[in-house]
Amino acid sequence: MPPGPIGVIANPASGKDIRRLVARAPVSADADKVAVLRRFFAGAAAAGARAICYLPGPHRLAEDALEGFAPPLQPVPLPVPFTGSALDTRNAAAACRDRGAAAVVVLGGDGTCRAAAAGWPGLPILPISTGTNNVFPLACEPTAAGAAAGLVAAGRVPIEAAAVRCPVITVEVEGEPPDLALVDAALVDGLFSGARAVWRPGELRAALVLRSDPAVTGLAAVGGMLGLAMPPAAALAFDFGEPGCAVRVPLAPGLIAPVDVRSYRPVPFGEAVEWRGPGILALDGERERRLLPGQRTRLVPSAAGPLLIEPRRALSCAARTGCFIEPLSGAPYAD
Amino acid sequence: MPLSAETLRDLHRRMLRIRLFEEEAGRLSEAGRIPGALHLYVGEEAVAAGVAAHLGPGDQVTSTHRGHGHLVAVGGDFRQMFAELFGRATGYCRGKGGSMHIADMDLGMLGANGIVGGGPPIAVGAAFSNKYRKTQNVTACFFGDGASNEGSFHEAANMAGLYRLPLIFVCENNGFGEFTRQDRHQAIRDIADRAAGYGFPGIVVDGMDAVAVYEAAGEAIARARRGEGPTLLECKTYRFFDHVGVRGMGVVYRSDDEVRAWRERDPITLLERRLAELGILDEAGAAAVREAIQAEVREAVAFAEASPFPDPAALTEDVYAS
Repeated sequence: MPPGPIGVIANPASGKDIRRLVARAPVSADADKVAVLRRFFAGAAAAGARAICYLPGPHRLAEDALEGFAPPLQPVPLPVPFTGSALDTRNAAAACRDRGAAAVVVLGGDGTCRAAAAGWPGLPILPISTGTNNVFPLACEPTAAGAAAGLVAAGRVPIEAAAVRCPVITVEVEGEPPDLALVDAALVDGLFSGARAVWRPGELRAALVLRSDPAVTGLAAVGGMLGLAMPPAAALAFDFGEPGCAVRVPLAPGLIAPVDVRSYRPVPFGEAVEWRGPGILALDGERERRLLPGQRTRLVPSAAGPLLIEPRRALSCAARTGCFIEPLSGAPYAD
Repeated sequence: MPLSAETLRDLHRRMLRIRLFEEEAGRLSEAGRIPGALHLYVGEEAVAAGVAAHLGPGDQVTSTHRGHGHLVAVGGDFRQMFAELFGRATGYCRGKGGSMHIADMDLGMLGANGIVGGGPPIAVGAAFSNKYRKTQNVTACFFGDGASNEGSFHEAANMAGLYRLPLIFVCENNGFGEFTRQDRHQAIRDIADRAAGYGFPGIVVDGMDAVAVYEAAGEAIARARRGEGPTLLECKTYRFFDHVGVRGMGVVYRSDDEVRAWRERDPITLLERRLAELGILDEAGAAAVREAIQAEVREAVAFAEASPFPDPAALTEDVYAS
């Protein structure tokens, strides 16, 4: 029996926020997302996937993309009411878990992946970038991504061989439900979530990041531009402001801005960082939660994040076992 | 920069002025005291307020059949507005236009419009004038999801993109073209997606969140003033009242549960709650603002009802250009 269906979470709101104006981020239209999903389904069907569970919604991204793929792909709508908010991604991930999904493909950016991981901590995720800051999602051809997910869903490649465990930041806010971040958490000045994105460097007060890479956008680039390598089994904590140094960072696509770094230090997994309000807590590039004056938040990095399915890893594993080879009749394949 | 307390109070006041004007207009209409059809803006206040807060002297607005909110947001005078609704000679159009033609050229409000999709071509003209005259002014073109299917919108968007006009297209997507749910009148859900076809950015914003609209509109308007061309700002919103009037015409096209769910995200309640939390406007402060506006409404209604009807001899005046 195959391990389970593939879950599909396609965020209709990704790639459409204010960063199209304040930066030079591209628009990711619904039609683009449907096209990505169609290529994904082609790969998944060819690799042996048989069922696709998805969140029905007015944008009909999965529904439209599935046209022509059933059979072999059986559409399984998830019993999740559509709200038009990030709650949809969170609820859909939880419903995928309940359906026993073997892999979940997520179309969006860092924020969408974060919401999915909040709904199903530790989920087997295959994130495809259709968002703005795409540090966590993979830049990969959806056909290959679909094939990788299909191999896992069909039981032809074990998840352990296809995926790696990612780190996560667990976020506890005093008196409120917990949250998490997959790339970075930041404390920014302000009173409102508003248009949600983080793009004004002067508002940054502190950050805790799980990546340090000069070739990405967002706060994960701060350490990268400072030439810092990620310490093993640890996150990096930054305090922003003067005195210190200004480092030029691509805070969003097409937006390079000076960020004043006062200090930084490694934070070993399991150790906590504490911030206090007032301010706004931004998670994976989006202003999410407001902190009242004096309200505490505690952030703990750890290795217990989602299982990231890497297409190259899954496909290479399958190729080594001859998974894609069918002998032609009457002729030997090879010596 | 973080929003100032003054800006937040201003947003709140603009929204509340719209709400209280519209609620009173709705009551008067249902009581049969105002003639003609009223399309009320209750529920959508964050959109007009968030955009209008960035507009100033010389800027223009084009509106829709649901146009009272746009005029109130830019500073419309309650007396002249109510007088117009009552069909009195002291009204904005001397009592001959009514709800769907309400306008104030001094405020740059170029008119409500009874034609769905009638506003965008006018907005293009105004924005072209701004560019031609090398002013720093912008035009805000409000329209709905239904209007985005009209040829007039597409032609206007094409010209605005071609000439990089200082214009923002503000789509108030309330999910219905009159009584028709969006998924029954167009194949797409995000009207912002259409901007790419005309060569300018389109973004989606929560139209029930005044601060989100304010931030996005501010960036779009600043972009227009810098000469970088138009933006399509799609605000996801909802009208709490029916398409026409308050209770409407008895057409069943949406459920009470749906209306209730959206009312839980009432943009004024959301902002008031947050302002109280932040100590910017407490309950007593909000009540005082409300009472002051209600007094303004009462006085304006009394003024309107005491005003004369237009003289029949003036029937053809102000109708044709001379």
